[in-house]
Amino acid sequence: MSVGLGTIRSAGRGVLVISLWALGATVAVTQESDDDVREGRALYDSHQCWQCHGYEGQGSVAGVRIAPTLYPYEAFARLVRHTNLMPAYSPNVLSEEQLRLIYAFVQSILEPPPLEDIPELDFE
Amino acid sequence: MKRDDRSRPEDQSHPENSAQEETESVNRREFLSSATVAGLAAASVGATDQAAAQQVASNESAPGALPPTAVQEAMEAEIPAGYSAEEAREYFVRNPGSDFMVDVIKRLGLDYITTNPGSSFRGFHESIVNYGGNQAPELLTCVHEEQAVAMAHGYYKVTGRPLGVLCHGTVGLQHASMAVYNAWCDRTPMILLAGNHLDATERRAGVEWSHSAQDCVRVVRDYIKWDDTPFSLQHYAESMARAYRIAMTPPMGPVAVVIDGHLQEGEVGDHSPDLLPMTPVQPPVGDEAAIAEAARWLVEADSPVIVADLMAHDQEGVERLVALAEALQAPVVNQFGRMNFPNTHYLAQGAAAVAQADVVLGLELFDTWGVINTLRDRVHRDAVRKARPDARVISIGTNDLFTKSNYQNFQRYYPSDLAIAGDAQATLPILTDAVLSSMLRSRRATNAERESRWRDAHARAREQALDEARYGWNASPVSTSRLYAELWNVVRDRDWALVSDDNMQSRWARRLWPIERHHQYIGRSGGAGLGYGAPAAVGAALAHRAEGRLAVNVQRDGDMMYTPGAFWTAAYHGIPLLTVTHNNQGYHQEFMHLQRMAARRQRGIDGSSWVGNELRNPDIDLARIASAMGVWAEGPITDPDDLGPALERAVEVVDGGEPAFVDVRCQPR
Ligand code: HEC
Ligand SMILES: Cc1ncc(C[n+]2csc(CCOP(=O)(O)OP(=O)(O)O)c2C)c(N)n1
Ligand SMILES: [Mg+2]
Repeated sequence: MSVGLGTIRSAGRGVLVISLWALGATVAVTQESDDDVREGRALYDSHQCWQCHGYEGQGSVAGVRIAPTLYPYEAFARLVRHTNLMPAYSPNVLSEEQLRLIYAFVQSILEPPPLEDIPELDFE
Repeated sequence: MKRDDRSRPEDQSHPENSAQEETESVNRREFLSSATVAGLAAASVGATDQAAAQQVASNESAPGALPPTAVQEAMEAEIPAGYSAEEAREYFVRNPGSDFMVDVIKRLGLDYITTNPGSSFRGFHESIVNYGGNQAPELLTCVHEEQAVAMAHGYYKVTGRPLGVLCHGTVGLQHASMAVYNAWCDRTPMILLAGNHLDATERRAGVEWSHSAQDCVRVVRDYIKWDDTPFSLQHYAESMARAYRIAMTPPMGPVAVVIDGHLQEGEVGDHSPDLLPMTPVQPPVGDEAAIAEAARWLVEADSPVIVADLMAHDQEGVERLVALAEALQAPVVNQFGRMNFPNTHYLAQGAAAVAQADVVLGLELFDTWGVINTLRDRVHRDAVRKARPDARVISIGTNDLFTKSNYQNFQRYYPSDLAIAGDAQATLPILTDAVLSSMLRSRRATNAERESRWRDAHARAREQALDEARYGWNASPVSTSRLYAELWNVVRDRDWALVSDDNMQSRWARRLWPIERHHQYIGRSGGAGLGYGAPAAVGAALAHRAEGRLAVNVQRDGDMMYTPGAFWTAAYHGIPLLTVTHNNQGYHQEFMHLQRMAARRQRGIDGSSWVGNELRNPDIDLARIASAMGVWAEGPITDPDDLGPALERAVEVVDGGEPAFVDVRCQPR
């Protein structure tokens, strides 16, 4: 995979490469989590989470970083449904099941490379 | 000075006259000393006010004039061979009014006039080119009036010198209007020159009627400081001088002067108008007693915080703010309406610093209320105070000197506990002196502890920014942090200047790049009217060209589509500029609004927010647009690893004195 959209966690054995129409990019996912993560990704797209959190959950001036996930699903769900600044997503538009899939996707996003490995960020 | 003075022989060797072959008129420009006019713009607000004022005074001498009858005599003497006097009167104009108009402009010292041509100023146009030699001012060809205004906007923000914007008084000003609004909101001076035909009996049938108005400035009057419609050349001379002064006196802003077609094209006639000496106006300074009180509050505060927005006019303003901040060891929250404070200084802090302040000093804030409070974007827009309940607010600035009311760019009313009307940069030295002289030794002793606290906080914020920049590093579309990091690596060893703002790219320029000089960051558009980015960048790049700096423009896709012609102007006039797009294939800001509405109404998933907001299907090939304008271009780049090498190639083009363009598909923010 040359252009990693998602450096997605590959905890399992085989690695699948899937094309995502929405992004024109490829993502590697584990076989086990394949379906959940792929569905979660699609929901992350269609529910527009990427608008403010970025396609990789990296965050922006419009929405904080949400990946890699630091908290359990219950906390994640509470933050999406009862927010301060973000639009609240009610179960009427985003079911419990869908949110769990989004969570699975967000969870699958890996840590980026360490600072030492990114010469472009050496500002000294 | 009279218009018909005859030259002394040495006048013709004056460098300004080189393009002017007719000896009759060269003498006039002898008096338009470039030293005089160059001093003016700088003198209005900067540190060198007095020196400039003296320089102006010493250049004011004007020679005596010939008696009026000389005009007739000269005309008689200049009838071209083979023509009767009557024929000559019908065919030729010897001494057109617009030549004098150009003399006035030269005296004001406008470096350039941005324009899109129109017959309502054809006489003036001809005078600029053939009488003025198309130098100081030089015409800059623009393909839209909105572009012409935004170029003047960008140019001012780098140089502190206003430009002229020459437009058709009717349709041209209509096109220009939104950009004028941006300039107004951003307190940017410029002189709009609007061609019009006032005398109905002199209008040729058809378009000359459609392109005339009783009051053509009306379309922009709500957001300019002043305008006039002169009825004589003397009236024009005086109104231009007045217009310049009003534009350049803080709070600065655009002004407009109508140039009547009849005045331009007709003979000056017997009553030769006078050119007026130009003297700069000193900026308004805050009241001394109030400043002493402000100093006392700041010195006694446990946790004073300074917030600056449209404050620094030039590097001197930056240094004045550093002096105040260091005297108090108070953090500075730079809102970057201007480059007010070096982000590498340990006292540069994020907006969160306001929350713990007991005294907030606001300097030329666009929105004082918004510094202290916020209105949450919910069904019920409740106000939440961000500052401490007991925090006292001092404001210094020129907000209260504005007198227009229709457009609401003045923001929500905030009373302030101590409000001082005056230009903040001009007022700062007095305030800093007052702070230093009222600071007791015991208070001074706390400075070391404050300094180390802010040094720590600054270092932590820096670490955090670098850490955050890693997230999405290998993403495609390219992350905005990577965009700025890659860009930094091609500009870091050069004399660079950013000529766009980074608000829509999660502010990565100010979080990552060391921004220390006033000219390295030019702030925002003011009115958030789109179509500003490209032309303002080109205008700013023109200003940087004179200094040999590398100008860098991060260009949003939506914004670019309003005024892409600015890139043609850059190519045509040889303006070096590196443009890199933040191309998120849509009006991203509006995506987020639509999604917020949909979520609030609990509906509209599955991509509805693309409707009306996406710029895809077909995808816009921005690189081909730029290249069709004569600009070297590459892209779209989707693989972040391709970005660095493309930027290297582009910078090489810019080093050769040309604009270059790299289209990059990016993350939305
Ligand atoms: C319009 C912008 C926007 C959209 C769309 C959006 N968010 Fe948010 N999100 C925010 C903002 C802003 C915050 C910070 C919230 C706050 O401070 O109250 C946030 C916070 C969060 C948090 C809490 C993060 C933390 O650590 O505090 C989570 C989790 C989250 N969003 C997930 C989602 C998911 C999942 C979606 C899609 C279903 C989504 N967001 C869509 C703007 C957005
Ligand atoms: C003349 C004008 N029309 C419409 C708007 C409303 N508006 C604000 S931001 C925005 C999207 C701009 O798109 P782009 O420049 O690509 O920036 P993005 O938000 O996508 O980063 C629009 C349409 C505006 N500010 N000005
Ligand atoms: Mg866009």
